[in-house]
Amino acid sequence: MIRVEFFLVMGALLFTIGCVGVLIRRNIIVMLMSIEVMLNAVNLTFVAFAREGQSMTGQIVVFFVMTVAAAEAAVGLAIVIALFRRRRTTDADDASLMRW
Amino acid sequence: MHLLTGFILALLVSALLRATIPERPLLAAILPAVAAAGLLAFFASELLSMEFWAGGVGFVAILSALLVVMHPNPMVSVLFLILHLFCIALFYLMLQAQALAALQVIVYAGAIMVLFVFVIMLLNLRAEEGLRLGGGVQRIGALSVGALFAGLMFWAIRNRRDHPFFAPDALVEGFGTARQLGWLLYGKYLFAFEAASILLLAAMVGAVVLAKRRLQ
Repeated sequence: MIRVEFFLVMGALLFTIGCVGVLIRRNIIVMLMSIEVMLNAVNLTFVAFAREGQSMTGQIVVFFVMTVAAAEAAVGLAIVIALFRRRRTTDADDASLMRW
Repeated sequence: MHLLTGFILALLVSALLRATIPERPLLAAILPAVAAAGLLAFFASELLSMEFWAGGVGFVAILSALLVVMHPNPMVSVLFLILHLFCIALFYLMLQAQALAALQVIVYAGAIMVLFVFVIMLLNLRAEEGLRLGGGVQRIGALSVGALFAGLMFWAIRNRRDHPFFAPDALVEGFGTARQLGWLLYGKYLFAFEAASILLLAAMVGAVVLAKRRLQ
C-alpha cells in the first residue's frame, strides 16, 4: 500500500519546481505553464488528503481548482495576446511601464 | 522499497538510452522506460506492486515538470506539460479519484493545453525568443528560495504524526466516482458550483474582449 507521504512529498516537490519556474523564466507563457504545474501539485495534495481522510470534499475542491485554473489560463493567455499585439515580445521584463 | 526501485529503474533506463541514441533524445528517454516496464510486467508480474508504478510515474512527473520549466522552446514545454498532466491523472487513479482523473485528462490536457498550443502557434514563438532565462542574481535567488521552500515542506511532512497509513477498507461505496461528485456538487456545494459557472462566464467575456482586434 502506498503511504500518503509519497503523494505529499511529490506534491511539495512539484510545487517547488513550478514556483522556481515562475521566478526564473521571463517568457510569460512559460510562467503561466509553471503556474499550472503549481496548481496541479496542490490538486495532488488535496486528492491525497481526500483519500486519507475518506472524504469527497477534497475532490470537490480539486474540481473547483480545475475550473478556476481554466478560467485563469484563458484570461491570462488573452492578456498575453493583447500584450504581444502591442509590443511584439513575450518577455515579462519588457512590460515594465509601471515599474519604479 | 518497490517505490524507490521503480523510481531508480526508470531513471537508469532513460539515462542509458539517452546516452546511446543521441539523435532522438526524447524518444530515447521515454520509450525504453516504457518498454522496460512492460517487459518487467510481462515476466515478473509479482514484482510490480503499486509502489513500483507509483515510483515510475513519479519520476516521469518530476522529470516532465523540470523540462517544462527548463526547456528554452515553449512549444516543447507545452508538450512536457501535457505529459505531466497525464502523470497527475495516473496519480489520481492510484488515489481512488477516477472521475477526477478523467476530468483532468479532458479539461486540463484536452482543453487548457490546447489553448496554450493555439496561443503559442498564433504568436509564432520560437526557441530563440524563449531562451532568455532570468539574470544571474535572479536565478541564484530563485533557486535558494526554492531550496528553502522544499526544505520547509519536507520538514513539515516528516513531522506529521496522525495517519501514517491508508485505511484501505474504510472507503464508502463508490468513493471517487462521478456519482459521488455529482451528489456533492448539486447538493452540498451547489452555490459554489453556480458561482464557478458565473466565473467561467466572466472569464469567457474577458478573454474575448481582451483578444479582440480593435474595432475600426
